[in-house]
Amino acid sequence: MTEQVYFEDVKEGQELPPIKMTPDKQQLVKFAAGSGDFNPLHFDENFPMLKPMGLTENIVHGRFKYAQVGRLVFSFAGYKGRVKNFGVSYRGMDPLNNEIIAGGVVTAKRQEGGENLVDLDIWTQNADGKKTTPGTATVALPSRG
Amino acid sequence: MTQIYAEDIKLGDEIPQLRKRCSTQQLVQWAAGSGDFYQIHYDKEFAQGTGLKGLIVHGALKNAFLGQLLHDWIGEQGQIRRFGCAYRGMDEPDQDIHCRGVVTSVRRDGGKNVVELDVWTEKPDGKKTSPGKAIVTLPSRP
Amino acid sequence: MADEFEITDEMRSQFGVDTQPWEYEVTTTSVRMYARGIGSDDPIHYDVDFAKGQGFRSIVAPMGYIGTPVFLPGKNDPTFGFPRREGGPRLNIPFKGLLDGGTETEYLDVICAGDVLEETSHLSDLKMRGKMLFVTNEAVYKNKATGKVVAKQKLTSIHL
Repeated sequence: MTEQVYFEDVKEGQELPPIKMTPDKQQLVKFAAGSGDFNPLHFDENFPMLKPMGLTENIVHGRFKYAQVGRLVFSFAGYKGRVKNFGVSYRGMDPLNNEIIAGGVVTAKRQEGGENLVDLDIWTQNADGKKTTPGTATVALPSRG
Repeated sequence: MTQIYAEDIKLGDEIPQLRKRCSTQQLVQWAAGSGDFYQIHYDKEFAQGTGLKGLIVHGALKNAFLGQLLHDWIGEQGQIRRFGCAYRGMDEPDQDIHCRGVVTSVRRDGGKNVVELDVWTEKPDGKKTSPGKAIVTLPSRP
Repeated sequence: MADEFEITDEMRSQFGVDTQPWEYEVTTTSVRMYARGIGSDDPIHYDVDFAKGQGFRSIVAPMGYIGTPVFLPGKNDPTFGFPRREGGPRLNIPFKGLLDGGTETEYLDVICAGDVLEETSHLSDLKMRGKMLFVTNEAVYKNKATGKVVAKQKLTSIHL
């Protein structure tokens, strides 16, 4: 865990330290175990649904990429901060064994209802820089005050 | 489920078979349930890299199937005292696994009806892949 | 088949119709498994004493994990685990392929191991984009012990 970040220290346009991950089949099987989503699309290369979907290999769960963005915002908020909301849409598929980079940038700072809120653009991108999972998040941060 | 009683069985009886056929999905669900994430059970390339022909069924899953075989047979009033098996052969996903058992001894012991069995899993060609033994107790007819 | 599909008023009338509640469990084992599943090594998801030391009730559920639905054979989907409940919207969707379209989570409280949640959901949107049908469901999770809503999640699936 990195050091706690405070509201005063955050600037618009600030980028979050990215989280990089290259999920292999074992990682996705563990994710199936954790999430309860046992769709063979993610681990069985002989799964009959691959072909009709135009796929030649297993793909990463959308929710796995969502969880990587979740790690990013949770880690940014720190234990004293709170993730208020985060959402993404799934715009592209990522095959197994390819690097996924979860990234984010601060788009606004505001105070509302006694909370110090930071708005973010968040995403995962592939090695070519294509953002396959774009979205937004809001976290509440503690104040130095 | 109808209860089976000690009076109903004799030496050499075969208990009702349990047929299993594991999909890769079931092997992944077993990995989830057991916490054993070794890739030889769901990652074909990995399995072949270790010298195997392809994916194989977890030994512990076959052991659990034998547990299920006994559990289904003894009914609610029976008890499994012990059971175990050795892993002598490999089973593949998407192929039948016959779970079987034969009564080898029936006796009264400490006021209980104690039944011993040979249990095993078997491939379609008859090869026993997980031979083992079990001891259960069964109720007497009321 | 998808060519003939049209969103009808009858389908729209199902918006907002709540499903029966279903229990979701957040346990120490399930939180750790989810954390392993996402590749996190943050002790806040693993070490109960550490999490308590940071002021939490127990280990903290990773972001996006709002418990595991109680699984009853015949009542839950064998692949995805979600409950198939009485009541709630009924759509006959004549599409074959299914993709995940998006996920949004709103947190009203921190979710920790030991929490037992009650989830109800409703259909909130249907949209055709080209030949694809976008179905959005919204789920609300209450802590069973306190009755307080702890999270809301919006899930969009794409049928094609």
